[in-house]
Amino acid sequence: MEGKQKMKLGIRDYCIRCGICEDLYPQLFHVNLDEDVVEVRYDPVPEELEETARSAMKDCAIAAIYMIKE
Amino acid sequence: MKTLNTDVLIMGSGLAGLTAANTALDAGAEVIVVEKRPFQGGGVSNTPMQTLVVRDDPAYQNRAFKIHMDYTNWNANPHVVRSWLKNTVRIPAFVRSLGIEFLNIKYNPLEELGTTRGYEVGFPNAFHIGDYYRLKWIGKGHGAAIICKKAADRIREKGGRILFHTTLTKLIKTEDRITGAFGKDVRTGEEMEIRAKAVVIATGGFNDNKEMVEKYCGLHLTNKNCDDGGNVVFNHFTGSRLTGDGQRLVWEAGGAKGAMGCNGHAMVPGPGIVGDHCAWVVYNELRTMQEQAYLWVNKYGQRFICEEQSDNHMAMVTAVNNQPGKCGYMIFDQDTAEHMEKEGVERAYFIFEGNRLHNVKKQFEEVIAKGNKHVFLADTLEELCEMSGIEYEGLKDQIDRYNGYCEKRYDEELAKDPLYLRPVKRGPFYAFRVFPGGYHAFGGIKINGKCQVLNEEQRAIKGLYSGGDCCAGEVFGNPPIGGIGWSTLSFAQGFICGDEAAAYAKSFE
Ligand SMILES: Cc1cc2nc3c(=O)[nH]c(=O)nc-3n(C[C@H](O)[C@H](O)[C@H](O)COP(=O)(O)OP(=O)(O)OC[C@H]3O[C@@H](n4cnc5c(N)ncnc54)[C@H](O)[C@@H]3O)c2cc1C
Repeated sequence: MEGKQKMKLGIRDYCIRCGICEDLYPQLFHVNLDEDVVEVRYDPVPEELEETARSAMKDCAIAAIYMIKE
Repeated sequence: MKTLNTDVLIMGSGLAGLTAANTALDAGAEVIVVEKRPFQGGGVSNTPMQTLVVRDDPAYQNRAFKIHMDYTNWNANPHVVRSWLKNTVRIPAFVRSLGIEFLNIKYNPLEELGTTRGYEVGFPNAFHIGDYYRLKWIGKGHGAAIICKKAADRIREKGGRILFHTTLTKLIKTEDRITGAFGKDVRTGEEMEIRAKAVVIATGGFNDNKEMVEKYCGLHLTNKNCDDGGNVVFNHFTGSRLTGDGQRLVWEAGGAKGAMGCNGHAMVPGPGIVGDHCAWVVYNELRTMQEQAYLWVNKYGQRFICEEQSDNHMAMVTAVNNQPGKCGYMIFDQDTAEHMEKEGVERAYFIFEGNRLHNVKKQFEEVIAKGNKHVFLADTLEELCEMSGIEYEGLKDQIDRYNGYCEKRYDEELAKDPLYLRPVKRGPFYAFRVFPGGYHAFGGIKINGKCQVLNEEQRAIKGLYSGGDCCAGEVFGNPPIGGIGWSTLSFAQGFICGDEAAAYAKSFE
């Protein structure tokens, strides 16, 4: 079936690495301390985690998590 | 080597550095900010729900100043304290100039200052010296993150430059003044020289520097689980990379060592209670239980503080630090668990709702199931002691006496308000272990009231300024027991550094 677009998440460069995203949604995010970056574990986000991803966007302290439009 | 030129060079883009940069730009100076990480904000990502402002009114300013100075027993530099308090009045306008409104403001009357816990809970009464400006936040974070983002945007709009991934390696001295610094891109190693008329050091504390914490605070920094023999755990976001770089740079350039300390909040380490990264993410109500003034003992089973202090985090953390093994335990029984569920707890934890708790036993079981080694639940006191390492004989003896005080409603031992005297009788029994810890290791740079860095002779080093957490010891005396770095100081000293550095730079025109 075509039609439904896959969800992809991006992290804006002003992310402050506070790690709230990983504390709340470890299944989706990982703070990579060695490289000082926050990683999204899936690209694209599996369908069953799409709701979680939307919550994460709302919970981010600085609105740095966004949906990539293709 | 690449060479850059500016009026004011600022090291660090936390609240202090960003405020200084905005202030210097407003005064017409050229500004470069260097920040070793790839984003602005520093310690602030976990930070403030509210900031303290002392009213622009002589009666309030004087009262606040005297309460604070009395608290330090006039051990702190009074000029540094006075200028900090005076400059807090600029915080609201600065925040609003970034397009941010406050959620609300709690004005505290003059006669109330110094009479109740500072910051509403958590701090000594002496910290209750002004009004609380609560910041608006988004998501699950805190307002200061947005302030920093907007403050950084504004620096760029005004023509200032922020160089991320950049550190300073050495201050340059020409004759008797600081005229810039050598810097380095931490990714590529590319070196640079930044010539400046004034340099501001605003690099925060040294939470992430084990050696400095050990050497200057006498504490052993440990991992989140406190299972490596260490005894202090910071509730700062993981890997803050605050390693005291600014302090070392200043000392190498002849700056004197200022007061240094660690403080904040004793914590139950380990998984399952607060977020690994962000301490404000709470997974259950154990954090609220930790605020309660029930029975607290050390590992010999003996009480060590009048537990009314349990919501004076700084007193608790100091007391815990003084105990054998540098730890403390809160103990309660099933009746008290049910009291917390039915009648509710006496004390909330900061902003977190905590009237009636929910199924205390289940919450304990869940945290234990997550592998937390500092949370204990047992049917008998013997078992509880076996699990937790508390000495049974001592605890038994203490509880017998304590239950007697509860019955008499009089705590002859440590004078606790009978409101909190709840016997420990009926199993199951609950305990958790706290270690010293909390917010940060702060201080190290000695300054005067104009935020000029002082040398060993206590004279200002020309062209060198500093403010914020890296100077926070100076407002608490030496050693800064009961001290802390907080946003009010970082903002205020940011203004001072910005004013003074810009004026000094302009004096060459
Ligand atoms: C968990 C927690 C909770 C807190 N809660 C509150 C609160 O509720 N209210 C309140 O008022 N205060 C609170 N504080 C304190 C407040 O956050 C700090 O006092 C304040 O943010 C410090 O700002 P600063 O600019 O002085 O230092 P920092 O924010 O630490 O900034 C220092 C900056 O310098 C950078 N830096 C370090 N070394 C170098 C280098 N070599 N080169 C370039 N840059 C460098 C760092 O990366 C950082 O960006 C809290 C602190 C913590 C940790």
